[in-house]
Amino acid sequence: MARTAVPETQSPVVVSGRGVVKRYGRTVALAGLDADIGPRITGLLGSNGAGKTTFISLILGLRSRESGELTVLGKDPATAGIEVRSRVGYAPEHHDLPSELSATDFVRHLAEMHLLPRRAAVQRANDALWLVGLGEERFRPVGLMSTGQRQRVKLASAIAHDPELVLLDEPTDGLDPMQRTEMLALIRRIGTEFGVHIVLSSHHLEEAERICDAVVIVEGGEVVRAGRLADLRRGPEGLVVEVDERADELAAILSSRGLEVTLDGGVLLLGPVEDANDTVRDAVAELGVGLRRLEPRGRTLEDVYLGANT
Amino acid sequence: MTTGPDARLFDLGYRSYDGARERPERPILTLAEFTARRVLGLGRGGRHKVLPAITLVIAFLPALFSVVFTVFTDDILVDDLITYGEYTFFIGSALALFAALVAPEALCPDRRSGMLGLYLAGPLDRTRYLLAKGLAVFGVMLLITVGPLLFMMLAFVLAGYGPTAGETPKLLLRILASGLATALLYAALSMAVSSFTTRRAAAAVGVILLLFVPAIVVRSAIDGAGAPNELDLFSFPFVVANLAYRIFGETPDETEPVAELSTWVVTGGVGAAIVAGALVCWLRYRRLEAFR
Repeated sequence: MARTAVPETQSPVVVSGRGVVKRYGRTVALAGLDADIGPRITGLLGSNGAGKTTFISLILGLRSRESGELTVLGKDPATAGIEVRSRVGYAPEHHDLPSELSATDFVRHLAEMHLLPRRAAVQRANDALWLVGLGEERFRPVGLMSTGQRQRVKLASAIAHDPELVLLDEPTDGLDPMQRTEMLALIRRIGTEFGVHIVLSSHHLEEAERICDAVVIVEGGEVVRAGRLADLRRGPEGLVVEVDERADELAAILSSRGLEVTLDGGVLLLGPVEDANDTVRDAVAELGVGLRRLEPRGRTLEDVYLGANT
Repeated sequence: MTTGPDARLFDLGYRSYDGARERPERPILTLAEFTARRVLGLGRGGRHKVLPAITLVIAFLPALFSVVFTVFTDDILVDDLITYGEYTFFIGSALALFAALVAPEALCPDRRSGMLGLYLAGPLDRTRYLLAKGLAVFGVMLLITVGPLLFMMLAFVLAGYGPTAGETPKLLLRILASGLATALLYAALSMAVSSFTTRRAAAAVGVILLLFVPAIVVRSAIDGAGAPNELDLFSFPFVVANLAYRIFGETPDETEPVAELSTWVVTGGVGAAIVAGALVCWLRYRRLEAFR
């Protein structure tokens, strides 16, 4: 039966890890990792060497863990690797693809390798390449394509067989800002419209912030922070105010009117008070300065990430 | 716009797939076929077809000459015709060249380009991957270990020199047995060498060295230092050619040390080389870092 998009509010666990340990000789790559990855788009974040790639390889059942429990789509990839991998799509970080193959042959071949019959593989390879914006270019050899186009080919090959879960390793690596924006929009579309769960491994926090529903932050082989992005970013209530000049004077006025004000550089952080917006508006008008920013207080993913690592 | 009740929308674009899926074993055949086509240069540029074409020509040329010879020459004595055992020996160079071409092309590019990681991230494990590659290499090798002999047999039959109807099944079995043994040996050895490098050229040189250097060394040791004849089992191309002679019931070159060995020892030697080659390849791939 065809899948439908999963609402953000539903939370079946797609990947679940409990106390997952993986060592390479004496080096501990994953030190008892605990993580639940839910539906839709999840960012797997962490610095280089944090354990992201090792975790992906365990999800795919390509490496064996020393201890702990791991289930992917309800199966243990260590014992049901072939079954798990037939339901998962994967786009690697590297761009080395067979240079002589055309994009459509490459995607079709991998779709066939993921158990699609040949006719269906041909059709879906074309559909996937059109979806990623390479419909007109699909007969070009991969070796003649730009980095951005190769990233799209990898994405097409990861989704052509209609997987339930797609693992994308640094999918915007090597892209310029415009291409990056387009690629992120595409991933967001695939994750929301087609019912495909996506794990996006990246060290670009702003990317995760733009398209992910949840994040798992890994450092030193452990999960240091995980959850829905909206929950993680929720900070203290109140407002952030930024003006062109005379921020200290504005802070004094707002304090005199009963607001809890903290001056952080040129930025005013206000505590939770009813009708604070009106109070700020009036004070700014009185001072005659330009208002640059007036928004609810919250935390960026960078705040969350840095907070998790301190 | 009006549409009738039979109007259908055919191009729906990317969407969920709820059609049939193949069995988990299917990728083995898919990869084997894909690899065989690439090795033979099918669906690739002209330069990829040159070497396979040259090798096939070398392998089939003696058979073609035999056919022409039998068709255009009157009163040929059966003894003047090339025998099946001789044929296998004569095309030894083509077999070696093919072995040096096929397995490196089948294995090396996947590790160099990262395709191995993509394959293993799908419903294949390392053993199934190697099984698919082995099938491809073996299948392509069969083209020149069995193909020319069948071609020659057919030509002899049509020219009236071939086996009788009663002898044909036995000869076919012999052609098949000889071809299988030769193809398996070359496939296993060349895959073992190819598992050590990502560079096709290096693997090709390695295959040629493995086929001929031990033969030169052991034969020097046997002839010069009186080493035991059993050492000649490391002269892989000559041992398998000798086995082919025996399979066809022909008398091999008796000056070769391997001719002194019993058929069981020669068969065991070829079998051991096949198993060793396959084992080396499997062990190499078991430890290989394919995921990056």
